[in-house]
Amino acid sequence: MRRGFTPLLWVWLVYGFMYLPIAVITLFSFNASEIIAFPLQGFTLHWFGQVLTDARLGKGLGLAFLVSVPVAAFATFLGALAALALTRYPLRGRGVLFAIILLPFLIPKVILAVAQLILLSELKIERSLATIIAGQVIIILPFTTLIIASVLVRIDRRLEEAAADLGASGWSTFRRVTLPLMKNGLMAGWFIAFVLSSSEYVLTSFLSGRHQPLSILVASDFRFNISPALNALALMIVAVNLAFIAIGEFIRLRSKQT
Amino acid sequence: MARSRTGFWLSVPVYAAVVALCVAPLLILLAYSFFQVSFVAVLKEPTLKNYVRILGSETYRWLILKTFGSGLMVAAITAVIGYPVAWFIAKRVVAAKSAFLTLLLVPLYTGDLVRIFAWRMLLGAEGVINTFLMAIGVIREPIGALLFSSLATHIVLTYNYLPFMVLGLWLAFEALDDRLVEAAADLGAGATSTFRRVTLPLTLPGLVAGSLMVFVMVVGDYLTPQLLGGASGVTIISAINDLFGTAFDWPLGSAIAWTMLAILALAFAGAAIVISRSSLGKALAAGEA
Repeated sequence: MRRGFTPLLWVWLVYGFMYLPIAVITLFSFNASEIIAFPLQGFTLHWFGQVLTDARLGKGLGLAFLVSVPVAAFATFLGALAALALTRYPLRGRGVLFAIILLPFLIPKVILAVAQLILLSELKIERSLATIIAGQVIIILPFTTLIIASVLVRIDRRLEEAAADLGASGWSTFRRVTLPLMKNGLMAGWFIAFVLSSSEYVLTSFLSGRHQPLSILVASDFRFNISPALNALALMIVAVNLAFIAIGEFIRLRSKQT
Repeated sequence: MARSRTGFWLSVPVYAAVVALCVAPLLILLAYSFFQVSFVAVLKEPTLKNYVRILGSETYRWLILKTFGSGLMVAAITAVIGYPVAWFIAKRVVAAKSAFLTLLLVPLYTGDLVRIFAWRMLLGAEGVINTFLMAIGVIREPIGALLFSSLATHIVLTYNYLPFMVLGLWLAFEALDDRLVEAAADLGAGATSTFRRVTLPLTLPGLVAGSLMVFVMVVGDYLTPQLLGGASGVTIISAINDLFGTAFDWPLGSAIAWTMLAILALAFAGAAIVISRSSLGKALAAGEA
């Protein structure tokens, strides 16, 4: 009974549901009409041109890079330390370390954001790009840790033991054996952290002062307006995000085969 | 030994970062929940007044109940939708398993705002779904209740968190030994009783883990109800947001936040008990077999 056609149809329906928003954005960002509705009116690239020439968005994009590049770097670095401690070295309280890394992921973002806001005001720290970066690193850390750990657990421990047997010190074993083998995990972690950082809105809006990165700028557009140009912008954001994720996943999975 | 110290020194910066950026802020939030506001200043004398006010306020009690109700409802909906999908990926897909899982996770990376924007386009009165249904002649008048309603919020919450439920269930199905299902059938159990007495109990840990993830994320979701719920979009999270913004009552906002965290912690404890018991049962069954 369960081997029949029904489960397959159900799976198709569910995947269709998951891709419905992306499909609609794609369809209507090429549609030559001011109105986002059926029937379709013909093909145009006009909306993309309108987005690409918007100076305000360009400035926001620049700020987004100023935030997301360091966030991805810090989150990858801390994630690498955590993943190494969790998978490669004897450590007391492994469970505690794992729980504390997952903690920021489990706290509702608004609650974490207001808590960080209180801390900033108690310490009399002005909100700036630096506070956005610090706040984002901690919620992205769980993701980078898991990605890097997933690469580390596949590395053959005997390679490190062989290096140690041949007289390599702990540091040079790490630098010449472990690090090259985990490099793919680091790169994958960086790309995924970058995407998570650039699309993060809630925490960013609480912690940003005068400088408003792209996610904050587009937020007010996306919240209150609907237009084909926004549609084109949404598609471009989706395309860049997915390209980054694809690169990251490609790098991570390549390490599986070696 | 040198190696054991390495693990410790590696974890120090990680602990430092999480303590400074997550644990310390939450503790200060806890301290603030016992303070009071007088005019525009925060009065730092410990009091339980904020908690008493939450317990006594019908509005806050209702909002807390409503938010957690949403969490339970979306967890149940995603479980029903996701269960056959997880079974299919684990038991019917052979070669393309990782492709199926990746395709499931890809929509998560489009970002909250883009997703909400797309759903507003889909659900609006002159949106894609309504105009499509009118074009093919199913309806004459647009369905107005699609957008800015509790229905819209729950459709999109389901959309947002379904992949997490499928992941949890998929792990449970991967661990499920097919021979147990076959044995039940051989011993004369029908499809329904095999499901109820073998498959369901053995996939329960995945169901609980998936439900917990979905529940936590739905309860913490601020943007979806706010931007798609219209008048129904007020949640306990948006109330906290208001108290820290326009209403300027940080202590009361902190007390509500900590009430939420305490309830979430209880949910975790409950789920942990269910999971540990069922895996204990599993280990016992494996030991006997």
